[in-house]
Amino acid sequence: MPHLLVPPFGNFDYNALFPLGIVAVTPLLVLLADLIMPSGEPRRGIAVGISVAGLLAAAYVLVEQYLSHQFGPAFGFGFVLGGFSIAFSLIIITAAIFSIMMVPTERDDEKEGPVCALMLWSTAGAMLMAGAADLMTIFLGLEILSLALYCLCGMIKGASEIRKREAREAALKYLILSSMATGFMLYGMALLFGTSGSVNLAALQAVPASNPLFTMGCGLFMIGVAFKIGLVPFHVWMPDVFEGAPIPATAYMSVVTKAAMLAVFARFLYSVLTPAGHEALIWPIWATAGLSMVVGNLAALSQIDMKRLLAYSGIAQLGYIMAAMAGTSTLGMRYALFYLGAYLFMNLGAFSVVALVSRDSEEDGHLSAFSGLGTRHPVLAAAMSFFLLSLAGLPPTAGFIGKILILASTVAAGYVWLAGLLILGTAISIYVYVKIIRIMYVHVDLAHIREIRPLSRAPWIGVWACAIATFVFGFYPVALHDVLPRIR
Amino acid sequence: MLTALVCGTLLLGFLTFALPKTADVTAKWYGVIVAGAGFVLVMFINPWNPPPQESTHWLSYPFSANYHLGVNGISYALVQLLTLCAVCALLGTKVPRQRNFVGLMLLLEGSMLGLFLARDLLLFALFWDAMLIPVFLLMIAWSVHPATAWRFLIYNVTGGLLLLLATAAYGWLYGTTDVIDTGVLPPLSDNWAPWIFIAFAIAFLVKTPVWPFHTWMPDTYAELPAPVAAVVGAVQSKAGLYGFITIGLPLFGPQMVRFAPWLITLGFIGLFYGAFIALTENDARKVVAYSSLSHLGLILAAIAVSNEYAVRGAVLYIVAHGYFTAAMFLIIGYVESREETRSLSRIGGLARGNPILAGAMGIAALAMLGLPGLAGFTGELFILVGIYQAGYVWLAGAALIAVILASAYMLRVYQGFMHGPEKPDLPQRPDLAPIEVFALVPLFAALVILGVYPITANYPDQAYSLVANNASMLENK
Repeated sequence: MPHLLVPPFGNFDYNALFPLGIVAVTPLLVLLADLIMPSGEPRRGIAVGISVAGLLAAAYVLVEQYLSHQFGPAFGFGFVLGGFSIAFSLIIITAAIFSIMMVPTERDDEKEGPVCALMLWSTAGAMLMAGAADLMTIFLGLEILSLALYCLCGMIKGASEIRKREAREAALKYLILSSMATGFMLYGMALLFGTSGSVNLAALQAVPASNPLFTMGCGLFMIGVAFKIGLVPFHVWMPDVFEGAPIPATAYMSVVTKAAMLAVFARFLYSVLTPAGHEALIWPIWATAGLSMVVGNLAALSQIDMKRLLAYSGIAQLGYIMAAMAGTSTLGMRYALFYLGAYLFMNLGAFSVVALVSRDSEEDGHLSAFSGLGTRHPVLAAAMSFFLLSLAGLPPTAGFIGKILILASTVAAGYVWLAGLLILGTAISIYVYVKIIRIMYVHVDLAHIREIRPLSRAPWIGVWACAIATFVFGFYPVALHDVLPRIR
Repeated sequence: MLTALVCGTLLLGFLTFALPKTADVTAKWYGVIVAGAGFVLVMFINPWNPPPQESTHWLSYPFSANYHLGVNGISYALVQLLTLCAVCALLGTKVPRQRNFVGLMLLLEGSMLGLFLARDLLLFALFWDAMLIPVFLLMIAWSVHPATAWRFLIYNVTGGLLLLLATAAYGWLYGTTDVIDTGVLPPLSDNWAPWIFIAFAIAFLVKTPVWPFHTWMPDTYAELPAPVAAVVGAVQSKAGLYGFITIGLPLFGPQMVRFAPWLITLGFIGLFYGAFIALTENDARKVVAYSSLSHLGLILAAIAVSNEYAVRGAVLYIVAHGYFTAAMFLIIGYVESREETRSLSRIGGLARGNPILAGAMGIAALAMLGLPGLAGFTGELFILVGIYQAGYVWLAGAALIAVILASAYMLRVYQGFMHGPEKPDLPQRPDLAPIEVFALVPLFAALVILGVYPITANYPDQAYSLVANNASMLENK
């Protein structure tokens, strides 16, 4: 099969980083366009257009790399290009595209450019984490990802003073807590470095598990991971930040941060702990995953703010994904990836609907904003119901297939208790999600009914694309399945 | 053809929502025509030599699963029951926001058709969960106390998730889930099989429901609009028993034998518990609900006994129970729409003003208490003979007592509603309209035909041969 794209550089290192480079350079173009275009109407949509074009180009290069098998380590094992990193990068890029689609819904288009630019830089950091194979690269990616996000959380112009204060509070909270978690992680990395004398992950395989420094390093590292993914009991920051941050940033964080950290965790698990037979060291992480499924859904029960609710639901969903890897089998990795893809579509689909519904800059994500959506906007309500049913794992959706894959993998790995917790969590979650469907269709609160005033039609693309993907992967999972086994 | 039946019903169900919102009458006749076409299609299916099969590859990892539809005798009987009940229920429908109601009813019918025709465990689990959603929406939008809908959903989804877990475990152990109706399979390892069977069994017991998993049922049947109650009470409650016959007996033969005493005990507790509560219950719908608990307990015991007579009787009685329960729920619905209550203490002497209604209820009540010549009798007879043959003489005797109790509570409902002193505060309403009678006639015809010529007893041949094989396998061990 002829490939349109010849490797652009003579050096493999640069070829491996080429898609990442595209994503990192596009924001410069965005900011440049922002600078030279006259402000106001002509500038609208330019930033989003350039960003999406850049991300699509990066995705294209990634697919080309995958199809032509240009795999291998780059920069002395600092970054590994392979099916694994490409799959995670594609998930990250898709999530970034859908999140950027939500940006123009904000009232003030003055800051479209900076928001898009920051989101792209953050995406570059996440992609770096997806391929990172040594501790330094992991840390570098994490910082690039997080620093941009701190700003994104607080960037909400044109809103009321109260709303602005909320956003600033979210940004500060995120900054402080996330830095603390990074501190934990960095300390863990330092200890790990101390045991092996190398920042390379592969070198850690040789360290005996009896080494107390190694155990401690692993533990601290895992705390950082659990914090970023938002596993119970390190999840408390997440609902607050999600509630305060603007919707595009929330949607972005709900998938990209988690996916990137999941990639790091999976890499650590599969290239350090499993080959060395040290999986037993991180048994607490499976306990936290199981706890997340139950606590996340229980806490979501009583939420009245849509973004908080989706934050808690995300905590539980990530618990499911972690459970897939509990057996540390290659199959488990694939199922985790499948569910992550499904989560990407159903979650961002739901966020796109939220972005369309809570239009004004107040971003009222209160559940009552959805009241009577079934009569006001039947298509939007039907799409939302579909995403929620998928999150709940009911057929015929991607969530259903994803859940059965995870169940099969956890049972096969002998973690039957984890499968039991998954069932328990799912049973609780049904109530959470169906409650929203009921609000949209049955429980009509006339006092809160508002017209939907579209500021932009861009999130509709997200709604339709996510709905189609959720449906196709639910009905015909073979589409993704035939690709998955080749990854890694 | 099977795909056309399932997907056609689902698709046409979705298309209902394209009708204008106010088209109540159009929507109803649209629904009747779609469901009627389904019934005609079912009558054209020949489930014997060779049974129709439709299969397409669906999943390859972590286990192989196919989109596989097929028919055997038992699913054929249930599909007949389902399509006929759907037609009758839609004929008798008169509710506000009728277009949405009809659409959801068709979706319910379509997903249940899929359930009974699925030949793959994963597909079975998919339709099992899918059929809960229309019922939930129907209950939450058209019932007086929507809170009941949550109880229904939580109970049944938990059962559905256990089914999913069991399916995943089975698929992982066995490599494929395309196992329904494929003959006798090598048994699973003893470490796993009991647990997987228990997960399946709990899902089935919750759905049926069987004591002590029944607490969602009486309220649900009381709250649902009458046509939905007719379909859910008559057909959806059979999904669990159907599961025991087509999944439990062939795939988990040794476990069925091992857990038979438990299942028989639960069934008999339900048999008496349901009968005694039905004797004292004041709400007519709940009387029928508890009588259902009682009858289905007996059927479960028959399936657990699993000798030839018992299984044939179980299938026969499943179908008969479907027809008379559907008729009874529709009739109580008619009473409710006339008198705006269904409590036994408030209604009396309806027979004078509504002789046709009284006659219809009389037939349904007689079928329910097992009068010879109507379908209920043959099923009960087969089951009792089967239980007796299996050596449970005392149980057969005890079951007879419960059958007598059935006469007591059914006659109590009939007598209370139709005879006795007329209540002066009840409104005088006209007798059954022709369309309402027309909705009942097919059900009564089926009851009489099956009572005189119980052809359904011959349906479970395939399943029965599996039971026999299991028994011989156990003996060889």
